[in-house]
Amino acid sequence: MSVIEREIRTGETTQVGDLEITAQTRVLKIQFPGHHAGLIWNRPKAVIVRTSDGQESTLPVRDVTRIAIWAMLAGGLLGAFVIGLMYRYK
Amino acid sequence: MTDEIITNPLEDSGLEMFQDTMEEFLATADVGVVYGEPIQHGDTIIIPTAEILCGMGFGIGSGGGSGVDQKADQPVGGSGGGGGGGGRILSRPVAVVVVSPEGVRIEPVVDITKVALAGLTALGFMVGMMFRMSSRRHALPSIEESI
Repeated sequence: MSVIEREIRTGETTQVGDLEITAQTRVLKIQFPGHHAGLIWNRPKAVIVRTSDGQESTLPVRDVTRIAIWAMLAGGLLGAFVIGLMYRYK
Repeated sequence: MTDEIITNPLEDSGLEMFQDTMEEFLATADVGVVYGEPIQHGDTIIIPTAEILCGMGFGIGSGGGSGVDQKADQPVGGSGGGGGGGGRILSRPVAVVVVSPEGVRIEPVVDITKVALAGLTALGFMVGMMFRMSSRRHALPSIEESI
């Protein structure tokens, strides 16, 4: 078993009315040598929807909170860098 | 005198407990953990989703020794074992899958508190840089420059 393992897992299909819904998750497993410690990060990836006429569509699950947090932090660092440049060349 | 080390029955039960805990830990990688039970509300079905971060670690050890009791002139021996571990599971809602007669849509769950804290941190970076640069500008000239 490798130390870092990434995989996409697909769950069982659930029938809701005429629709078939299949859930997918993204799993990151970190197992430290000796197998006495580990970390698992499991998060939703997408939902696959299949209609009765056979049409299949994949709806991605976006983590808006995480995107907003990283965007804010990146904006803050970029802003600080730009302010630093402005003062230096003023 | 024998070098045989007496095994502790508590050690075996400890190992079993660790094995069970490890199995439970590995079960957090399952799809069913991230997607909750569907909730029916009229014609609409809601499936909550969450991200799971689980970390754990443990250690176990045992040892034994033997020698001679000089007073009684008899061989003596003993063994012992011990272990410990810890772990934590963090869970956070990510989105909600809404299945209605109109179709399937995914509604994100936004944690305003976390976003606001990140915004304040970003603002802190910028204000800190402004203060740093303006204090450098208004700093007293060095002695060599003033002469």
